[in-house]
Amino acid sequence: MASASVDHMVSITIFLAAILLFSNIFSQTIQTAVIYQQHRSIATKCSAVLDSLLLNPGNPEYWALEDSTPSTFGLQDPEFKQYHLNPFALMRLMPANDNPVYYPQLNTTYSNITRGFGQSLFMPYNKLVNYSTASMLLGLNNTYGFSLTLTPIVSVNIAEVEPEQPDQLKLRILVVGAGFPLAGAPLNYCFFMVTGRAQGSYPAYSIKYNATFTDDAGVAYVVFNDFDRQSSFLFMAYAHLGGLTGIGYYGDVTYRESFVIPFISNFETGEVILAHSWDVHAGDNPAEIAFNATFVLLNTDYTFREMPLDNVTGKVVGKLNYGQDPQHAYANLTINTNSSGILIVTYSKSAKDTGVVIMPWGISSLAFPVTFGGDPSNQEWVATDIRQVTVNEIAYQAKLSLWSLEGSQVIG
Amino acid sequence: MMRTVEVLIIIIIITGAFIASSQFAVLPWPRQISPINLRRLALTTLQILDSNYDLSRAAFDLGNDTLWDGLHVALSAALPPNVLYNLTIYEVNTSNPQGATLYNSLRSISNAENLGVTSDVSSYLATSSNVTFNVTPERIGEHSGDGTLYILNCSDTNSWWTAGYTSSSLATDLYNLLSPFFVNTIFVQNTSQLGQLLNGTALSGETFKNAVVVNTFGEAVPIPDGYYSSTGVGYDSPNNSYALYCYTLGQKVLQYNWTWVSIVGYPLYYVGNTAKFSNDQNGWGIYGIKQVGPAALNAFLQGLDNQTYTFSSTSITGNPSGVMYLSPQAVENCNYYGIYPAPYQTASRSLPTSIITKYHLNVTTKIFDTVDNWNPGAVYRHEITVNGTKFFKGGFLALGVTRTPDIRLTALGLLSDYKPRNYASDYTEYGVSRLVILQLGLLGGV
Repeated sequence: MASASVDHMVSITIFLAAILLFSNIFSQTIQTAVIYQQHRSIATKCSAVLDSLLLNPGNPEYWALEDSTPSTFGLQDPEFKQYHLNPFALMRLMPANDNPVYYPQLNTTYSNITRGFGQSLFMPYNKLVNYSTASMLLGLNNTYGFSLTLTPIVSVNIAEVEPEQPDQLKLRILVVGAGFPLAGAPLNYCFFMVTGRAQGSYPAYSIKYNATFTDDAGVAYVVFNDFDRQSSFLFMAYAHLGGLTGIGYYGDVTYRESFVIPFISNFETGEVILAHSWDVHAGDNPAEIAFNATFVLLNTDYTFREMPLDNVTGKVVGKLNYGQDPQHAYANLTINTNSSGILIVTYSKSAKDTGVVIMPWGISSLAFPVTFGGDPSNQEWVATDIRQVTVNEIAYQAKLSLWSLEGSQVIG
Repeated sequence: MMRTVEVLIIIIIITGAFIASSQFAVLPWPRQISPINLRRLALTTLQILDSNYDLSRAAFDLGNDTLWDGLHVALSAALPPNVLYNLTIYEVNTSNPQGATLYNSLRSISNAENLGVTSDVSSYLATSSNVTFNVTPERIGEHSGDGTLYILNCSDTNSWWTAGYTSSSLATDLYNLLSPFFVNTIFVQNTSQLGQLLNGTALSGETFKNAVVVNTFGEAVPIPDGYYSSTGVGYDSPNNSYALYCYTLGQKVLQYNWTWVSIVGYPLYYVGNTAKFSNDQNGWGIYGIKQVGPAALNAFLQGLDNQTYTFSSTSITGNPSGVMYLSPQAVENCNYYGIYPAPYQTASRSLPTSIITKYHLNVTTKIFDTVDNWNPGAVYRHEITVNGTKFFKGGFLALGVTRTPDIRLTALGLLSDYKPRNYASDYTEYGVSRLVILQLGLLGGV
């Protein structure tokens, strides 16, 4: 009798232990599957959100060139179908990891995308679409976080190399894509040289156009003879092959202590403010500078075309001094076009002290990259997806990172 | 002991069941859980490659190694380094005899022997460059349900300041230029039809509200006989003037939210009806027209602004010196719409900027640059306020240019203001097509 009881007790104990063990093993498998399912759902959402961003112009369709916030968020160019993005919509996104600048004369803070000396895009903070607004318009707030990056597929890297003759300027242009150099690619370039004038006069400039090809390694060399080393210059090159187009630029200036900073003031009217650098960055030895501004568009044959700014001559000249009262601190000009292009402003203090600054009107005209949204680095699980897009003929890769804000576990 | 053995047997059975079920409950690879959408990546890559029709050219020029080398380089450069690809061109056999293959592989480029464990494909239809390139214009009003263009082509009205053209030829030219951009384009063939419109009755079932009405009669405007030329409605008997008709016209423009278009000269300077004014001439020997003078425009603007009618014969137009230049916006739209009028012209009937505040107008489009407070050509929108909210209701396009009229300026002004889009079709699918398949795979393990 006692033996039977012990047998029952032992068997029940073993049975319960086995049931416990197996339920644990089964539940782990099921839990893993559930988490996988969640990750799969985030990946699907990521792809859907990316297409929603890229295949929808937003509402109103031309919101990017109106000073209002859209009621529906989208980045597609309303003039096109498929994955053509609006260069102005991208320009109105508040950059992630921004390093804003403050312009006291207008008591305005500007977002700052700077690619090098005199290659900047400053936009008023209060007219940009920020991350939280975009999240809300996309219906993602409090459920998903995202980060959108657009990177030019084609990089055109330009560097100065030692010339054969002392009066030459020799530039090496390396054109690479996302995974391979662009061998045998046509390269159209524009050489913009600033001619200083006597103090008080406005700087002048000359433009040369030409074309060449990259070699098997995606490299091309361009030599300019009779180059005056005391001159400021800007070199811009467009590389294009098989539908891929990229732009690169390189410049040097003889005078950096005072220069012109262009601030976008109004997207709708195309108003741009030209400010003195000392009023923004301070610095040593500030001086009065004269400027000469022009606006150029990229033609379909990859040459440039000058567009009138706010008068029929197409040129805007003036002078800027530092530390002035707000009424006299800056100059205004208006870009009267909805086509993207490049604002080129030459400046000079004297015949020898010259420089040139550029600003894209439409993010793609100088192939500026875009980073918009939250920070994915501290998230447990981030899904990503990519698309190839064109922004006003320039090829970009759009990458969206998306994560859940409602908690998502990770296996392993 | 027997129970323990039974339990052990049960454990063995459960273990067996677990092992057996595990064979079916296979968890996916991590790459399958959060994949890059290779199908979309392939499609967008094909679209990029064909953005300048290079892919289409290559698809129909299989022997051109230079073109194919460029395509190969571009494809390699466009994709991330860890992506494998295979691009193949297929010919589509449209006349497919029984048993023949539907697609023939023509040429292929790849960067790998095989595309790994996961791959996906997208297809793209390339069309020969021999086919017609099409531009499909967006139609004004296609989303809102209105979008009617009325062109006054009244057979019982003579025109003035249209020297070199007849109103009929101007109407035809305007039709050719603008009808693709409107949902409905309707010729108003006589003054009776104009009267019908003014009464708020559509001519052929179209939406007459929010329409554009173009007066192709230059400085003359058709006037219907009867009600609209009667005393107190169209005729101001104390002042012996048909300025009141222009006032009524302005009111109708406001009421129906029309955009009234004057193509040249002083707007509404004469009224015209060959039957009614058969014995009247405009002072220059053209019968069927009666001069109203500057009072007409003043009355029209009063009507547009819903002000009380006051007869005023003060001329308000001006003649700024020199030639007037197209505005930058108009110059840009010349390229967009492919309409190229002369970029400058004299404008001896320019409207003053003072009318903007006086009649609550907004200049929404400048056709010519403003010069010394004169607008040689512009689109004005009348602003009203309802419950504190401002709206536009009623519009007026006035081209104060000197004769002879250039109807392209009218078309350019309207298109610049309404901004309909031109949808450029990527190589239409008529004619020969070839199928391009891009298969993408990823390097590495699972």
